[in-house]
Amino acid sequence: MVQYPVHLDTTFAALSDGTRRGILERLGRERASISDLAARFGMTLTGIKKHVRILEDAKLVTTEKVGRVRTCSLGPRRLEDERVWIAKYQQMLEERYDRLDEFLRRTQQERTDS
Amino acid sequence: MSAAVKDATRKATVTTPSDREIRIERVFDAPRDRVWQAFTDPKLVAQWWGRGNKLVIERLEVEKGGHWRFVEHGPEGVHGFEGRYREVTPTTRLVHTFEWDGMPAHVIIETVTFEDAGPGRTKVVNVSLFHTTEERDGMLQSGMEGGLNESYAALDRLLATMG
Repeated sequence: MVQYPVHLDTTFAALSDGTRRGILERLGRERASISDLAARFGMTLTGIKKHVRILEDAKLVTTEKVGRVRTCSLGPRRLEDERVWIAKYQQMLEERYDRLDEFLRRTQQERTDS
Repeated sequence: MSAAVKDATRKATVTTPSDREIRIERVFDAPRDRVWQAFTDPKLVAQWWGRGNKLVIERLEVEKGGHWRFVEHGPEGVHGFEGRYREVTPTTRLVHTFEWDGMPAHVIIETVTFEDAGPGRTKVVNVSLFHTTEERDGMLQSGMEGGLNESYAALDRLLATMG
């Protein structure tokens, strides 16, 4: 089975943070090392690593360690507004059906009562 | 049947038969003609489709080629959705296109089937078929900077307006 919506969830969660979106934007221009990113975002190495790990898990970023330097670049799964839209669409669909369920039960009750 | 089991069967089952489809299956406690009505009678649609938000049904022409257009007034904004009916088979099957004003021309095809699921119950299966945008993916990879910034702008808009 294709894990499409699961990917969407991971992507969406990874993008819910401003620093992580900033990292992607930065990597969209050029590759950067963890320490470059830490300096750029005024964060500790540990803090930046945490964000990079989340982006890496979502496959939005890949990293490569050469010697003592870990370089980050954009990963195989590119951010795309349509992907975000589909995630929202699926959520809407589920909420809509929750409402329908509620509505049908409520009106069924009213019909039984009357 | 215990209440817990009964509730579990009511929950939607979401699967992905292919990388272009999302399939949502759900059983409702209402007979098939009633569920059909809830999908096709504007007075009833207005009461659930907007997910609790005010919904204005601008058009709902349930016939082949007919146009539907709903406007949802949420706390963070107004969103229009529309499409056309490709197939209407009363009480069993609806096929229509679905577009959100915010992503014009990104057309989803929704196929909704209604099946009897025991006395007074109906199973609704919704299959949404998306168009993949491989050409766009290729474009994004070659012109990453511009593409990304546009995507972020779209993401920010989505996050801001759709909560």
